[in-house]
Amino acid sequence: MLTELPPLGLYIHLPWCERKCPYCDFNSHEAQVIPEQAYIQALLQDLDGELARAQGRQLSSLFIGGGTPSLFSAAAIATLMAGISARLPLAKHFEATMEANPGSAEADKFAGFRAAGINRLSLGVQSFNDAQLQALGRVHSAAQAHAAIAMAGRAGFDNLNIDLMHGLPGQQSERGLDDIRSALSYQPTHLSWYQLTIEPNTLFHKRPPTLPVEDTLAAIQEGGEDILVAAGLSAYEVSAWSLPGRECRHNLNYWSFGDYLAIGAGAHGKITWPDGRIERYAKRKQPKEYMQAQAGAFTGSQRWLSAEDLPGEYMMNALRLAEGTELQAFTQRTGLSLETIEAPLAALSQRGLIEIVDGKLRCSAVGWRFLDTVVAEFF
Amino acid sequence: MSDLQHIRNFSIIAHIDHGKSTLADRFIQHCGGLASREMAEQVLDSMDIERERGITIKAQSVTLDYTARDGQVYQLNFIDTPGHVDFSYEVSRSLSACEGALLVVDAGQGVEAQSVANCYTAIEQGLEVLPILNKMDLPQADPDKVKLEIEEIIGIDASDACPVSAKTGLGIEDALEYLVEKIPPPEGDREAPLQALIIDSWFDNYLGVVSLVRVKQGVLRKRDKFIIKSTGKSHQVDSIGIFTPKRLETGLLQAGEVGFVVAGIKDIQGAPVGDTLVSAQHLDVPALPGFKRVKPQVYAGIFTISSDDYEDFRDALAKLTLNDASLFYEPETSDALGFGFRCGFLGMLHMEIIQERLEREYDLDLITTAPTVIYEVLKKNGELVQVDNPSSLPDVGDIEEMREPIARCSILVPQDYLGNVITLCVEKRGVQKDMQFLGAQVSLTYDIPMAEVVLDFFDRLKSVSRGYASLDYGFERFEAAKLSRLDVLINGDRVDALAIIVHHDQVQYRGRALTEKMKELIPRQMFDVAIQAAIGGKVVARQTVKALRKNVTAKCYGGDVSRKRKLLEKQKAGKKRMKQVGNVEIPQSAFLAVLKVDS
Repeated sequence: MLTELPPLGLYIHLPWCERKCPYCDFNSHEAQVIPEQAYIQALLQDLDGELARAQGRQLSSLFIGGGTPSLFSAAAIATLMAGISARLPLAKHFEATMEANPGSAEADKFAGFRAAGINRLSLGVQSFNDAQLQALGRVHSAAQAHAAIAMAGRAGFDNLNIDLMHGLPGQQSERGLDDIRSALSYQPTHLSWYQLTIEPNTLFHKRPPTLPVEDTLAAIQEGGEDILVAAGLSAYEVSAWSLPGRECRHNLNYWSFGDYLAIGAGAHGKITWPDGRIERYAKRKQPKEYMQAQAGAFTGSQRWLSAEDLPGEYMMNALRLAEGTELQAFTQRTGLSLETIEAPLAALSQRGLIEIVDGKLRCSAVGWRFLDTVVAEFF
Repeated sequence: MSDLQHIRNFSIIAHIDHGKSTLADRFIQHCGGLASREMAEQVLDSMDIERERGITIKAQSVTLDYTARDGQVYQLNFIDTPGHVDFSYEVSRSLSACEGALLVVDAGQGVEAQSVANCYTAIEQGLEVLPILNKMDLPQADPDKVKLEIEEIIGIDASDACPVSAKTGLGIEDALEYLVEKIPPPEGDREAPLQALIIDSWFDNYLGVVSLVRVKQGVLRKRDKFIIKSTGKSHQVDSIGIFTPKRLETGLLQAGEVGFVVAGIKDIQGAPVGDTLVSAQHLDVPALPGFKRVKPQVYAGIFTISSDDYEDFRDALAKLTLNDASLFYEPETSDALGFGFRCGFLGMLHMEIIQERLEREYDLDLITTAPTVIYEVLKKNGELVQVDNPSSLPDVGDIEEMREPIARCSILVPQDYLGNVITLCVEKRGVQKDMQFLGAQVSLTYDIPMAEVVLDFFDRLKSVSRGYASLDYGFERFEAAKLSRLDVLINGDRVDALAIIVHHDQVQYRGRALTEKMKELIPRQMFDVAIQAAIGGKVVARQTVKALRKNVTAKCYGGDVSRKRKLLEKQKAGKKRMKQVGNVEIPQSAFLAVLKVDS
């Protein structure tokens, strides 16, 4: 039995893009015209069905991801935000993040998004180099990226994330580091800085680009870390850097195995019930099917996590965090005793991949670099 | 039930690919043993592995009713024999239940060495050997040349050899007539007390031990009590009958007949192959001669990847040895691999098949170490020891002399490939003993170190002769040789399970080839992995598997965990096929790297 339900977030998926990027494996669909009104209505109807899952909890954060959510008008986002706060109580320091593409058309809407209640913006810059942006299939330019960041500041977003990728096709290590320096010149509160990986079911997987060799990747990784640390940012998660106190609370909730509701095509949710059972579920993927779904029929798949699933699922999230997790939190969030993970814990600490100090578990420096190896032990 | 005059017990001697199983299928079809819809190809090769590899490993039998041209019905008991050089022991077992054997020779290819050896065994055991020329439908068939070869090489009359094509069905009835006419009926007094030979036994999960027996005298009936001579234990017949090839209960087996007996024997060692059954009322009936135990030629350690499987592994080995007396095993402990068994095999094919059977039929994950032959070591204190495991070689300082086993190899090869074959024999440190030109073939005799013969000699011989050369070999003697143990060190630690014994001339080459191959097989890990080959303290080759820089999924959206989960589960499953040695994860295949080195 769980003594207390975990905090609750809300994920909202807006599935459309102007053009699908060749590396992207998210549920995104190309469209020239977006059925804004109908989709927002569907989202709110979907949320009505989610209310039971909230079990009286207030929302501590929401995250609007995509796709390219900034293709939506500020008015549509305002309707959505109003609909949400009409249905669920919001926490005092409510965090509302929205992903935005740094194109000029989008930047014009930033002030409107801010006015609609969005208080954190995540800009998908990826690179400040035009050639790299083109190789990534992005629709924006470096100049637009610079302009969008400035616009976000003017629009009142003091909580801003810049998404940057490295290890891009043909990238030299200096180019990779230049991108970081460019981002830092804006003194962002948060940076998502991650290596390009080729996922199955993407264009890059079918026609792989030439990626930098391992030594170059390592030089970018190590050089980049030095620059970021010097700028006062720290990696609180594998790929997430922030100033102190500016961590993304919505993502922290994922990584600490909290709960989250999900609305929108292909959105994934996770909910703990008072009897200790934990469910994962996903909404219908195709936007058209999603919008046509009647009340109660938005869900595409659902499963209950078994006791065998839980240690792996917990650790693959919690150990991404630099500070790791209280061991007690494992018991609290999964309902399992620590004995269930005694063997992998012993083996991993003997190999120097994890550290357990004062009831806190985290990866060692080496373990963090080999996180997948570490986490596999819990499956 | 047939009287003795109407029974014929026979085997088929044939080289692999010369069409023995197809011919047997034709016989079964002709005699109506199976409806044609039941005729899975090569019905006698019942193990999956036998079907897949197209070879026979275990003796099987089938009883057929053949209506001859004289109008009489004959009971034909066909006992199948394996055709590969590794399994000659099984052949003599099958032959001991027969009065005759068909020598099947490919009319295009001619006689092969293995058949020669098996023919001699048959003749020694007093069997009538009848030559059959198969594949007569092929354009390259040259019956006159092959008849001449049979007479010159084997020395039996081939003038009335029977031409057939098992593929098209040509001459099948003639062959059956020929068999009935030439092979003598069995002898044996049916009124005398029971005496029966166990040709084969195997373990059936539902029935317990099933034995294939040849009744030499007397009759064995359902519910009869009998005694197994060697154990002295009494059993009662639950079920008795013949294979048609389906199991068919007949209620009794009489002198001259071959069939199965089930007697509720649960102990897998309860009915040893080669043992004699006698009636519980006539304990004084003597035991039949049984079979010569063969000595394994190749030894290797087999270990379970998970130590939890050790007990299951031991049971599986016990069950396998029941009908494969040539499989030898005893417990072995390795620093690197833990508890396992040192197993002795007839040859490499035998080893592969045993490992495959263990993994498939008993669902075990196993690691097999590099195979080795048995060496003789004369110690300085005068003691002579036999070593079947490189890691148990005495200290170099205590060794006066090392001796390696030498095999006497008989090779038959068409003249066109003679040069290639001689080159190969020289490369394998062979010494020529004899060479004779017989028809279009050359008969070569070489003494070659057993270690070279068992490793890949047979496969190489086949490849340098486009499949035409054939081989038979047997242990000849031990001979002094300059040998050393080549150790493999992983990150500085000697891994006992990876050591091999090599000849001094090959130290450099083998060390280099082995470390290179292991570098390919060991996946990159969190740290550099140094692979060294060393003799004594001296490193002769070194390779490094460079460390991975990292293994972490860069971006992880907490929302959708499904794909990441699958990735991690896959990683975990791959890890289960690895053995942790020190800090290093070594895949199963690396322990057999020595076999995968290109020569």
